[in-house]
Amino acid sequence: MLDSIRPKKSTIYLYLLIPVALFVFTVFMPLVAALFYSFFEWKSGPVKTFNGITNYKLLFADTTFWASFGHNLYLVLACIIGQIGIAFILVLFANSRLARCQTIHRTFGFFPSTISAVCIGMIWTMIYHNKYGILNWFIINVLGRPELAQVWLNDSAHVMLYVSIPLIWQYIGYYMVIMFSAIAGIDKSIFESAEIDGANGYQTAIHITLPLIRNTMLVCLTLCIAGNMKAFDNIYTMTRGGPGTASMVMAMYGYKVSFEQTNLGYGSTISVAIFVLSLAVIGGSQWLVKRATRGLEA
Amino acid sequence: MQKKAEITAVRQTSPVGKAVGTVLINLVLWVFSLSCIFPLVWMLYSSFKEKRVFNADIIGLPKVWDPVNYIKILSNKDYHLWQSMWNSLRTTGLSIIMIVLFSFIVGYILARIRFKLNRPLYVMFLMGMLIPIHSLLVPIYVVFKNVNLLDKWYTLLFPYVSFGLPMGIFLTEGYVKGIPVALEEAASIDGAAFSRTLWTIIFPLCRPILVTIAIIQIFGCWNEFSFALVLMNDVNLQTVPLALTQFKGQFASDYPKQMAAMLITMAPIVVMYFAFNGQIIKGMVAGAVKG
Repeated sequence: MLDSIRPKKSTIYLYLLIPVALFVFTVFMPLVAALFYSFFEWKSGPVKTFNGITNYKLLFADTTFWASFGHNLYLVLACIIGQIGIAFILVLFANSRLARCQTIHRTFGFFPSTISAVCIGMIWTMIYHNKYGILNWFIINVLGRPELAQVWLNDSAHVMLYVSIPLIWQYIGYYMVIMFSAIAGIDKSIFESAEIDGANGYQTAIHITLPLIRNTMLVCLTLCIAGNMKAFDNIYTMTRGGPGTASMVMAMYGYKVSFEQTNLGYGSTISVAIFVLSLAVIGGSQWLVKRATRGLEA
Repeated sequence: MQKKAEITAVRQTSPVGKAVGTVLINLVLWVFSLSCIFPLVWMLYSSFKEKRVFNADIIGLPKVWDPVNYIKILSNKDYHLWQSMWNSLRTTGLSIIMIVLFSFIVGYILARIRFKLNRPLYVMFLMGMLIPIHSLLVPIYVVFKNVNLLDKWYTLLFPYVSFGLPMGIFLTEGYVKGIPVALEEAASIDGAAFSRTLWTIIFPLCRPILVTIAIIQIFGCWNEFSFALVLMNDVNLQTVPLALTQFKGQFASDYPKQMAAMLITMAPIVVMYFAFNGQIIKGMVAGAVKG
């Protein structure tokens, strides 16, 4: 803090006025509004009727909503394993002295994460297409197993897996780069002493690298969880939650209820639920991880 | 890291073991990074095929490089591609300028000036980082509808700037704290007013972090979809991702045309990425880790 410089209070507040007002208006106002309208029956017209906690009762009994929440959790888990897991293994490979062309791998690997989720969704819709998709082309022409070809995104039992693959793929490079920079910050002599002590690659990775980049891994974990609780763009482009509601996620459901069924009252209730559940999942996982890792250190 | 251990292992085994390891490691890495770039390449050459040609052979290179898809898309005003590019450019540009300016101002003030609302404001913006933004999707529509803010050319500036602010503010705040106070004290002894110190001394010093903030937000704003979808209905005001989803609906079975449209709208980002990827990657990582 500066004490020698005391600008006039009015100057400070003048500078802060626009950004703070903007922020309050776009972030906090909607939250308050959502909470307010969540107690109303409001089918998007001018008529709003107060109906107490009816919407919330509806929400607790709404299996589609809870299934969507489950799908969000599925995405979180799939992406933790897929993105962070695969990224960690690939980073170990890329860090090996035997690896070549690290810069190219970094440039290429990071590339998908700069493309909009809409484009990624469109590209993967093409890849999954039953007639003109690369996946079926590969299965028929390269593997020679035409019986395995199918209409991928119509398979309601596995559609969550198929929509999570593009998500995972898009961000592996992103997490790789984050981990890469963390590993680059580790003192090289640590690895040398591990080598002298005869640690193999697996042991070094688990017992030395992983604990040393723990904080970075926690950042990755948080990003991954927060990112997948808000999954929307990919799902909207690829399946719109279908077939049926087999790939519905919370944000998609809130959108459908509010704009396709024009039920803004219940849509507000869902928004409040998304807010609470996302905070709970993000906060809960943080707490869990901190507890677990504290136990490890002791 | 692992390399050391591998070298020991390799020393103990044989040159053959080393060769196998080299091949395996590089093969895995190449499979991954080529998979990341393959869709771009595939779209690039497939977009020069006519629909009929593509449907007959989805993977082969075009025998004739036919730019017909590009000509059709760009010359037909009904597709709104140029319009959406311009909308995205304007929205992204203005958002970035405002995010950088506001982050700088607020970040600096929170880091340096003692006043009553300093901590409350700090906590407020911190909360802004924790709030699950996507839960605002419907509520923001409701609020904007009430104050008649939907479907304006500046509508999207509100969410984009607001959502970009918290991270920008904290990056700037952390950065300013690393600048020695002596600089501003010297300036104040020399009689420089607050605003003058702010813009002529601090602003240039903060350039690296402000560039980082801009880089992170450029991709965020250009690619943002969900809020644009909810807040913008007017086809003339659509941003690029919105235009693409419409295009997808219109030409569901014409893949080369979809590809051409995607490539056109991706072009600014792709060119920028491959030109400055070193700095872009560094900036995005700094933002992710510190933010």
